[in-house]
Amino acid sequence: MLVRAQRSRSHGTLGRELGFQQQRRFFVAGVPLRVALVGPPNAGKSTLFNQLTGLRQRVANYPGVTVERHSGVASVGGKPVEVIDLPGIHGLSPRSPDQTVTRNVLLGMMEDGRPPDAVVLVVDATRLETHLMIAEPVLALGLPTLVVLTMADELDERGGRLDMAGLSEKLGVEAALVNARNATSLSPVRDFLAGLLATSPEARECPVVAAVEPSDRQGRPLPLVDQFKARRQRVQGIGRAAAFRPPAPSKATRRIDAFVLHRVWGPVVFLAVVVVVFQAIFKGAVPLIDGTEAVVAGAGAFIASVLPDTWLRSLLIDGIWAGVGSVVVFLPQILTLFLFIAIMEDSGYMVRAAVVADRLMQRAGLQGQSFLPLLSGYACAVPAIMAARTVEDERDRIATIFVTPFMTCSARLPVYALLIAAFIPEGPLLGPFLGQRAGALLGLYALGLFGAVLTAFLLKRSLLRNPAAAFVMELPPYRWPTLRSVGARLAGRAKVFLLRVGKIIMTVSIVLWMLARFPAGPDGAAPAIEDSALGAVGRFIEPAVEPLGFDWRIGIGLVTSLAAREVIVGTLGTIYGVESADESSLELQAALQGSLDVGAAVALLVFFAFALQCMSTVAVMKRETGGWRWPALQFGYMLALACAGAWAANMLL
Amino acid sequence: MEGTFKPAPVAAEGSVRVLANVPLKEEVVLVRIDLAGDAAEPLLERGIVPGCRLCPLHYVPGDGPLVCSVDGSLVALRREMATCLCVRSAREAMGLLDAN
Repeated sequence: MLVRAQRSRSHGTLGRELGFQQQRRFFVAGVPLRVALVGPPNAGKSTLFNQLTGLRQRVANYPGVTVERHSGVASVGGKPVEVIDLPGIHGLSPRSPDQTVTRNVLLGMMEDGRPPDAVVLVVDATRLETHLMIAEPVLALGLPTLVVLTMADELDERGGRLDMAGLSEKLGVEAALVNARNATSLSPVRDFLAGLLATSPEARECPVVAAVEPSDRQGRPLPLVDQFKARRQRVQGIGRAAAFRPPAPSKATRRIDAFVLHRVWGPVVFLAVVVVVFQAIFKGAVPLIDGTEAVVAGAGAFIASVLPDTWLRSLLIDGIWAGVGSVVVFLPQILTLFLFIAIMEDSGYMVRAAVVADRLMQRAGLQGQSFLPLLSGYACAVPAIMAARTVEDERDRIATIFVTPFMTCSARLPVYALLIAAFIPEGPLLGPFLGQRAGALLGLYALGLFGAVLTAFLLKRSLLRNPAAAFVMELPPYRWPTLRSVGARLAGRAKVFLLRVGKIIMTVSIVLWMLARFPAGPDGAAPAIEDSALGAVGRFIEPAVEPLGFDWRIGIGLVTSLAAREVIVGTLGTIYGVESADESSLELQAALQGSLDVGAAVALLVFFAFALQCMSTVAVMKRETGGWRWPALQFGYMLALACAGAWAANMLL
Repeated sequence: MEGTFKPAPVAAEGSVRVLANVPLKEEVVLVRIDLAGDAAEPLLERGIVPGCRLCPLHYVPGDGPLVCSVDGSLVALRREMATCLCVRSAREAMGLLDAN
């Protein structure tokens, strides 16, 4: 039911100065109240969101864009209130996807065409005059608004002062000074929500307000600089009316920055952090991965033992369970990486790291925030691509996602180890410092890095060309991360990964299982792999892989390794009749030496250095780019590069 | 990478300099932003408007970004952009204000 309502409350002095006009808007009765949290980054918005909603949160993507929609349900007096945590923004102009989404949500151009019923504008009290720059466009929307000033404790500790009554009067809306980390200090927010709930939709009056565009005496719009200059003067006027005394600069932040942003020590600290993160993903997560694999394998064995030996059991265990296992096994690495990202973001170091790495990444056409995702790609592209959401600029984020799979992930190592051991002789390359095999491995790492840099270079001069990115970043003061905030973010990441990516991977696993299982023998048993539909696919593509030096058996391996690169080792073991084949199997190495020459072996290495043989990566890329366009382009591009590189290697050697 | 940032002409207005050339810890007042409206908007939204006080605090080596304080907040921006911000020393700006 649509109910018409109008508000008659005064807009305060700011509203009068801007000439706000009241208009009518519609309320939808019978649905939960919807409240949007708006504010600049690092103002404590997500902390407030976590406090209000607890674990009753949902993460999705806004339709057609890659911006995440965080929503949750707050219980106020036993009644549900839908809370939307909008992206951190500095303005409402549609300059970036984050700002566009925020603007469209507030204007009711998203979310089923229904604007929020109220806004909670969250700003950092210690940076009042900078953060209040966004208050004006938000208040101009005319939605019932509560201005929440966070970091009350820091303001007090550092000698700042603020008269809330004066601030509220000047803004013309309710305002509250809180410490978002302390649930008990959030009663003004709950009171505001309760007040909205207590008012019937008919009586809850809410105008749409059109801000008058600032103009000169002749009525011409003012230049943008002059508009913002005037806005800043009004903000300073609000500060004076609220007797705002800015807090003294944080001594701790000044001292830490003197070290972290130092000309010499800054890069050293950055490299040390990078090494710790890399080691944690690459080595530290190994026991967790092993444990997860053991649990998955144990559960699979248990399920297999209680089910009769039928095709259904094979489908459940070899298809679905194997697919689920292949997803779950990435979870420790993902959570490890996101633990570090959450700590670095919440503490304030992440922005500093981006600042330190910016010049280096700029040479490849990227920006500082791209560094960590790219580095994480050496462990696994899946969490690395998810980590690319820390890159603010949309085009740079897509470029980062696009080049990340070139980094030599750990799944390539078994393939490299098998082929290097089989075809590269053990011997010195650079005296006692570097052996031939180690040199070959190093060369493959360099090849991947070269592919990444070349691709970034090409992308940023073609499809993802953009003007020199406006690298303007606000550096928040250092703060201790809270367990609640870090935990909520890890839980959210795990949920997104398992549900979204898992669906795609399971589907592909079932398709691969069916291809390997059919046509079944007369007794219903699975055929030998070369006689299966998968084998037929291998033979079908043989003419295409022959110029690369591969036969149909390698062709089958290339098809099965679409699931994950390391699968080719097991597949080749099955085809060559080697029991329990792994990368160190001498029998398998001997079998490969019999069917591949050196040129073909190097071609296979080059192929794996470039090809996107990992459906988990494709799935996560689809999720992170919001469609199949970029994953399809990525898959085709890397396949073409892999085929060209392998062909050249086979021809030359 | 091809950019849209064009350095401002060198000190055509007496002691007006570009932010990229200001020594560390020297407080300056922003006089003018030599950027088109859209390119300047990220600065303007963060309160970097003519009249605000800036103080470079850190230069990242290798021509990396510079970190400066803006009326109490810390903001990092690339050197190319800092060459588009024309500034005057805070002491001189105060003198001009007094003279007016």
